[in-house]
Amino acid sequence: MPYLASDKIAVIDLASGAIAEESLTDELLAAHVGGAGINRVLYERHADGDPLVFGCGLFTGTLVPGAACATVTGKSPLTGGLVHVPLALYAGMELKYSGFDYLVLKNKAAAPVYLWLHDGIADLNEAANIWQADVWSATRQVRAAMGDELIQTLVAGPAAVGGSALGQLMINFWASGDRFGLGRALAIKNVKLLAIRGMGLLEINDPEGFVNACLELTAQVKAGPWGGKKGLGELGAGLGQPGLADWIAPIAHRHRAGFNTPMAYNTFAMLEGDPKALKESAEETPGVLLSDPLAAVDLMKLGLGAVDACGLIRDCARLGLDVAGLIAASGAKDLAGLKAAMATASGPVPGLSGPFGAYAPAQSLGADLGQGGWGRRMALASVFGLDPIFALMTPDLSLEKLIELADLGAGLSLEAAELEALLDRLAS
Amino acid sequence: MGIKIDPLKCTSCMACELACGYHRDDALATLSACIMAYRARELKNYFGVVLKAEEDLVIARPEGLEVKRIGAVEEAPAAQADASAKPMLLREPCDLCADQEAGPLCVRACPVDAIYLD
Repeated sequence: MPYLASDKIAVIDLASGAIAEESLTDELLAAHVGGAGINRVLYERHADGDPLVFGCGLFTGTLVPGAACATVTGKSPLTGGLVHVPLALYAGMELKYSGFDYLVLKNKAAAPVYLWLHDGIADLNEAANIWQADVWSATRQVRAAMGDELIQTLVAGPAAVGGSALGQLMINFWASGDRFGLGRALAIKNVKLLAIRGMGLLEINDPEGFVNACLELTAQVKAGPWGGKKGLGELGAGLGQPGLADWIAPIAHRHRAGFNTPMAYNTFAMLEGDPKALKESAEETPGVLLSDPLAAVDLMKLGLGAVDACGLIRDCARLGLDVAGLIAASGAKDLAGLKAAMATASGPVPGLSGPFGAYAPAQSLGADLGQGGWGRRMALASVFGLDPIFALMTPDLSLEKLIELADLGAGLSLEAAELEALLDRLAS
Repeated sequence: MGIKIDPLKCTSCMACELACGYHRDDALATLSACIMAYRARELKNYFGVVLKAEEDLVIARPEGLEVKRIGAVEEAPAAQADASAKPMLLREPCDLCADQEAGPLCVRACPVDAIYLD
């Protein structure tokens, strides 16, 4: 069995309900490593079923700093091209420990379903009762039904179910890095959501060597320019948006990280109640997690105040609507225009192209990435399961270091030139 | 000397939990960890850390620390949030990673120095 993996690929034919399992072979890992690399192979293998492929990176869910992400690969309803979308927060980690490394959802279910993944078991369940539910309600209902508040969900909201190509694939209650309408792609398959819980165990090739190398890298990152930095405001300063800190400060609550991600750039905007209060809010839904930093930047640039902007982001989160896509597709310049567009906006999004969407900033602050470097960095983040924003900002995560960790953790002997070629293919 | 937690520095990244799980299982898992991020009240952005020490259960809430003597209390509410996981009180208590020369793994793994030795 491969290290740092569960050794299972689930291939789910939604039309028949059949669920087959395949092994994650050493050959597949050696040639394509993980994340978008293996997702693309599985996509091509099952292309006749127009699949959506969910996959973990090689290091997802491990002690490698920033190893939070899974990737979903499929055809974008907005561009028609093959795209790779990062899934941060805790979703990637939960998938890695669920007992499956990769999922292939192909064809279309005859009636609404949701997929429940746990303990190496994949079940398709009826979803008629939650099909029209908003993102927050659907997540809460599934968690309540299973009796576990830590279930992570990947959800198609009312926007996606209603036909909008701006329907984003949402994580629990919050925006993901989906700029390509893969929430809509999920809804087209009559799948409302994936519910994921992971309590498995991953073996390590060289446990002591791998863990020590990870902890040394964590110490290195802490000593670097992003050590101790938190929140949207600090990220904004690095993005050349110094006004972002003052803009969000009056409603900024605590900052959250994705799984094992040293840079906690997700700020919670407290819209009801005192943002400085530390006790648990008496409100059921007091605010919104700003898990898509560039969407907040876009709204600030339009001149919206933070309260209005975050209120809009919360409304879009319930609908499962991509805020950045809404702004670009509608052309609206103010709050009233954006609110009016929410019900009908469906794309196209001008300028949207390529396999990786603009979830991470266009430039790294840590190093000059050179021509095409941004796309290769996104590909690298996906292949290894790293948070793309963190990977972009952290030059300590060098190719050489990741190759060393792949050997220690997974026993994979990766060649730099072959890895570079893989990243070039994925980024093109 | 023991593990101390500053809950206001915590970002709920779970690195401590995974590092502790490794100490217990010699593999990557979280079910045996004696330190865990509680993160179930996501819509309210309310989160902190629970530690099972030798004699006490330390609940590091954002508004302050609460220390409960093990045996005198039922499972702490914050530690019950993870309904399908192994209850905190059934796990081995913290041994400060006695086999680690460089000190407790949770301290080394925490990227924001929310966990420290004192």
